[in-house]
Amino acid sequence: MRDRDLAQGRPLDREPAPSLRTLHARGRLAAAYPAVPELLAGADADELDFAGRVLAPLDPEEVLRHHPDTPTVRIAVTGRATVGDVVPALTGQLARHGILPRTLVCGTGAYLGDLADPRSPLYAHAPDVTLCVLDPLTVWDKVAAPWQPIEVSVAAERQRKVLGELAQAHAAHAPPGATLVLNTVPLLRRFTHQLTSLAQRAELGGLWRQFNADLLYMARPSAGLAVLDLEPVTSAGVRADEPRLGAYADAHCTAELLAGYAREAAHLIRGLRGAAKKCLVLDLDGTLWDGVLAEDGPEGVTASGSLRGAAFGAFQRTVKQLASQGVLLAVCSKNDPEAVTRALAQHPEFPLGAADFVTVVADWGSKAEGVHTIAERLGIAPEAVVFADDTAFERESVRAGVPGAAVVPLDGEPALHPERLLADGWFDTPTLTDEDRLRPARYARRAARERSEAGSSDYRAFLAGLALRVDVSPAEDHELARLAQLSLRTNRFNLTGERLSTEQVRQRAAAPGAVVLAVRAADRFGDDGVVGAVFARTEAGRLWVDNLVLSCRVLGRGIEEAVINGLLRAARSAGLTAVHAGWRPTRANAALRTLCPGHGFTTVGGPDPGTAELRFRHPLRQLQPVPGHVRLELRLTREQEKRAREEGEVTACAPSKN
Amino acid sequence: MRTVEELIELANTHLGTALAPADAAAELTELAEWDSVHLLRLIALLEQELGRPVPVDAVLQARSLRDIWAVAVGA
Repeated sequence: MRDRDLAQGRPLDREPAPSLRTLHARGRLAAAYPAVPELLAGADADELDFAGRVLAPLDPEEVLRHHPDTPTVRIAVTGRATVGDVVPALTGQLARHGILPRTLVCGTGAYLGDLADPRSPLYAHAPDVTLCVLDPLTVWDKVAAPWQPIEVSVAAERQRKVLGELAQAHAAHAPPGATLVLNTVPLLRRFTHQLTSLAQRAELGGLWRQFNADLLYMARPSAGLAVLDLEPVTSAGVRADEPRLGAYADAHCTAELLAGYAREAAHLIRGLRGAAKKCLVLDLDGTLWDGVLAEDGPEGVTASGSLRGAAFGAFQRTVKQLASQGVLLAVCSKNDPEAVTRALAQHPEFPLGAADFVTVVADWGSKAEGVHTIAERLGIAPEAVVFADDTAFERESVRAGVPGAAVVPLDGEPALHPERLLADGWFDTPTLTDEDRLRPARYARRAARERSEAGSSDYRAFLAGLALRVDVSPAEDHELARLAQLSLRTNRFNLTGERLSTEQVRQRAAAPGAVVLAVRAADRFGDDGVVGAVFARTEAGRLWVDNLVLSCRVLGRGIEEAVINGLLRAARSAGLTAVHAGWRPTRANAALRTLCPGHGFTTVGGPDPGTAELRFRHPLRQLQPVPGHVRLELRLTREQEKRAREEGEVTACAPSKN
Repeated sequence: MRTVEELIELANTHLGTALAPADAAAELTELAEWDSVHLLRLIALLEQELGRPVPVDAVLQARSLRDIWAVAVGA
């Protein structure tokens, strides 16, 4: 239920600065680093600036001494002019996401040498991400006065070609999987209006947009080149250039532009690490519709018809757009469940209906509990949730009770809901796979499957009735992006925690002896598509498993057991003498420590002093059966697959008892 | 802003520095607490505080906090 006073008054969001300030004053920032995201939730621009300034000088190694598990990213910053000023903003933005940067700022304006020379300090830093900041003087530094639009066009095209070559150099010299980040260049009025002819001014406007468009078309985020579009930042009211600091300090960007750039860059980095949020949990009254369900009744709430109602309708369409790209939608509402069901069913004119939500929690318990319930039902981590509510009290409850979840502050003005929701790119991801688009339907089926499980008196009978089919074979080209995504986004069932970009998966799959397998699953509830990946290779007559990843959506159905036992059987059939694997502890995969030993592997090494990796070996003498309720097809190589198809063989690994 | 001490207070509050009044006359390059990335932000803070523009070229050439204060307030 909405509290109108709270909703329309000043948001009661916490003011984090004093506490960050206190930590800084006491020299406790490194020790308290994991608390920083919480302290910065809801921070305004000044508070974020302060945070960045006191966090940037921290020694990352000191933070890691206190908290060895802190996610880190190696960043190199270069650019056309003075670029060091972006560092505090970037540090503050990354800290909001709990990411600790190890940043190298390269020489002022030396981006050509930094990126072209394989022996440059930039490459010695081994960056995961290189930010090449293109300020508003880009191209113009190569145009001599007096000039005509055609000369700007030539200089811009030359610049774009240089950037394209530098991107190739970066791909060759930076570590595998690294990403170079370029940006579009804002066009300044002090250049357009040096042309007095309106026709020429239009020509300049056109060719400049062409230059920026060409830059954007070069982007291939999954292959190591991203381009940040700064136009949405400047069109939201951020001034691009500071003429005085440009003239006297070669620092042409305003602090606000760099702050906007840093915000977008941090989300890009978050997305590249596969840390995108998965589920959007929404309140109903005052969030998705106008009115209070408990007072106005299911018929009384609106999302169209009135001016205010239509604003809620527009917000629902924004939410629906996110859902179409794989964001799971859920409702968490303090209402009677029957009333919510009726309201969702009775308004076909609403853009969102009951079928758009994978699950609904409607009760009178705390919303923090509600979010935990939703995460549990969907089999996702509670911190993969974004929670949006117009009531400050509920937001505080979720902030306090669900650490790591993102909380979107909505208020009494529904026309501002869309931009509040999109202010942070919580769901940003380098590329969208087919899996993403189908995800909501798959999770809805998961919920149906669980209801069926609850209705089944005996779990074995439930599994037997699933008609589960698992197909494991070399990944097809179109599946490589999905495999990369699984390695990036899967935390619980990720044997070594190794993260791979699409390009790295492609390279692995093309290497000699590569065994890069996609795990596909389907049952009577529907097709789950690619749910797991095996990254392995054959070498010296043995199979070396570099990583094994399985979406948590499908855990607990015997798929993991089937894949491992099937893999061992296939290795033996292929004449291999042993299978090697390793478990490297991460923050979320502790449960996998016993996975290999539980399947007949013996521990042969570790824990490794650096990574704490344990190494295992299976001699392939005694093999366990594939669970009887799983119909498994598993091929290690395309040749096996081809042969099996020719022989009309149904399964490579039939269940057996030995 | 009437004194250089107020400028130091402004910097400490917004930049997280721990500058002391005794640092006012020291060369900026000698001050362990000072980082050149702070200067551009300090100019914005000064203009906000004074409610008028400061001569940016002169501030950028100032060698101590007292110099910055002097050109900012026009002393």
